[in-house]
Amino acid sequence: MPVLVKDLEIVPDPWRLIESADDSDGSTGDGCIFPFDYWASAPRPGQACNAGFWVDGGVDVERLRDHLEGASLVAVKFPAFADGRGLSLGVLLRSRLGFGGELRAFGDILPDLAQYLHRSGFDAFLVEDRRAAEVAITSVASITDHYQASVLQPQPAFRRIHTGS
Amino acid sequence: MYQYQDFDQRFIEERVEQYREQTERYLNGELTEEQFLQLRLRNGLYIQRLAPMLRVAIPYGTLSSRQLRALAEISRRYDKGYGHLSTRQNMQFNWPELASVPDILADLAKVQMHAIQTSGSCIRNVTTDQFAGVADDERVDARPYCEIIRQWSTQHPEFDWLPRKFKIALNGAESDRAAIHVHDIGIRVDRDATGDVVFDFLVGGGLGRTPVIGSVIRRGLPEPHLLTYLEAILRVYNRHGRRDNKYKARIKILVRAMTPEVFAERVDEEWAHLKDGPSTLTTAELNRMQGCFSPPPYPDLKDRTTELAEQRLKAPAFNNWVQNNVSRHKVAGYAIATLSTKHTGVPPGDVTDAQMDAVADWADAYGFGEIRIGHEQNFVLPDVAQEKLYELWKRATEMALAAPNVGLLTDIVCCPGGDYCSLANAKSIPIAEAIQRRYDDYDYLHDLGPIDLNISGCMNACGHHHVGHIGILGVDKKGAEFYQVSIGGHAGNDASLGRIIGPSFARDDVPEVVERILDVYVDRRIDTEPFLSCFRRIGMQPFKDRVYASAG
Ligand code: SF4
Repeated sequence: MPVLVKDLEIVPDPWRLIESADDSDGSTGDGCIFPFDYWASAPRPGQACNAGFWVDGGVDVERLRDHLEGASLVAVKFPAFADGRGLSLGVLLRSRLGFGGELRAFGDILPDLAQYLHRSGFDAFLVEDRRAAEVAITSVASITDHYQASVLQPQPAFRRIHTGS
Repeated sequence: MYQYQDFDQRFIEERVEQYREQTERYLNGELTEEQFLQLRLRNGLYIQRLAPMLRVAIPYGTLSSRQLRALAEISRRYDKGYGHLSTRQNMQFNWPELASVPDILADLAKVQMHAIQTSGSCIRNVTTDQFAGVADDERVDARPYCEIIRQWSTQHPEFDWLPRKFKIALNGAESDRAAIHVHDIGIRVDRDATGDVVFDFLVGGGLGRTPVIGSVIRRGLPEPHLLTYLEAILRVYNRHGRRDNKYKARIKILVRAMTPEVFAERVDEEWAHLKDGPSTLTTAELNRMQGCFSPPPYPDLKDRTTELAEQRLKAPAFNNWVQNNVSRHKVAGYAIATLSTKHTGVPPGDVTDAQMDAVADWADAYGFGEIRIGHEQNFVLPDVAQEKLYELWKRATEMALAAPNVGLLTDIVCCPGGDYCSLANAKSIPIAEAIQRRYDDYDYLHDLGPIDLNISGCMNACGHHHVGHIGILGVDKKGAEFYQVSIGGHAGNDASLGRIIGPSFARDDVPEVVERILDVYVDRRIDTEPFLSCFRRIGMQPFKDRVYASAG
């Protein structure tokens, strides 16, 4: 059973992922994560309720711009853990499109990726099992501070620590 | 040199522990081979033909004597008493135990060193001119910018899982000694008319399967924008670089597919969002970094032209060494000495623990405790008082580090090849040795003048064969080791890629092929025309005719 880590804690997953439009079975949308194309096609499901969509890490972020309204969650699929496109997508969703809802990573999520996800704007990730979730949480904490700016820490170390004398 | 602050020290120590924990999970069976592969590569650990290979970063080729002694100690304690200088300012150890790598990294951390991002699909160890800060043709010292990029690229949240490896090189001198035309990003550091530092960006250069000369996508980028502009390039690449085929995943393929003009536009669009943001370099940060590389306290010395001339006259071997291995320093009374590792019978770039200790001692005795490594796999002592050159030469001779061949035919750049590397098609070290044995007459070598001979054991081109004046590439021909020969490559300012002369050769024939190429050059050159100019003037045909003429 996949285990959800949200805000660096293991929590039950209240969401249901709809893999393809065919599986949506006329769902009202409450608690559903729809495929992006289905979500983007009018009439938008779940307008009035708690719903979201999922995309592949490689999607053109500009396609998402007009469809974030009403989405309380965006899930990004990592087809392979070494495929870093989802990291850039996370950064852009947060910093350029100003998305403030839950940003979730799922797919092939190696727990060691958690530190990168966390710093690139993801507040949730779905990992293989409980052990992986624990490793993921520890790995985020294993490095106290980093050199460069990130979604999590928009000021690089040189502006915070070595401010000159 | 850059000295770690508490921040840097804590970071690398935590990184070592993180890797230790990853290694433990692998040894417990919690990580698959494929998962651990990606994690160990980000700490420089390959599994090679005979044993693991650990690649330690020597950031932009700068080492202190203390660090070099630590490398010597590591080679004794965890390896077989030697290390290998790679073509990208790294030192490789060929025999460490996988389980002891975290301990090696902890030892490195004690002397402010690491193996972070020396392999894997991430931003690699940033490289520069091994003479940075001391060369007399330098316009801007590139080292502060190298360190800024090193810090920025270290465990970057967004760019540690790129489509493919990513190499950045900087050069701030008139002469390009960092091969910036054949890197994923090459940065020329210069000054504009008002004296401010600016950067020219070349992208999409590289060797490997598809060698390409980089294209200039931006000229005169002002100093504070270095990181935001890099971020824009990396983001375009991370999002759009191909991931379906590893042979088409380098940025050069993307740049070519888009065209450099369109790629530059994409980068500009991205940069428009980042420009003047928090990653813009502050004056305080630039001052801090420049301060880390301020010149050592050179005592006031005069050039020792007369004394040197006398010493050279008395000892012809010393004269040869000065002629080839000593370069002009920007401070009067000083010189830059290159200690060649290219001794016949020794694999190019291999250095023993005793040699490392000796070089560290000389750096303390004759300089300011600093050592450099260049992409030609030699040691450099950047600050030798001219009056000490003779003494240094004598001691280097005793340690087999004084071959007077820097820049000459036998200063061969060579990858580890089939003797060590599991990717190799063919061995490269025995080829280097056979050529060195054939050409042991210094006067003839000197008469031939500057010739870069580069050897790679496979298409990955770690031996930079495409940019050798003469390049040799190991190929597999129905299971047998063969060698393809190219001519006319060059890594400097007017960079060019070598052209293949024709069908490949058996190993035993390679020295003869090289000899015929050199014969054509000697016959056809005009006065002191160097090999490369001669080739560019007369073209491939005369070489082809001679090389493929039947024997006799
Ligand atoms: S060029 Fe090929 S054989 Fe040589 S070190 Fe690189 S990968 Fe190995």
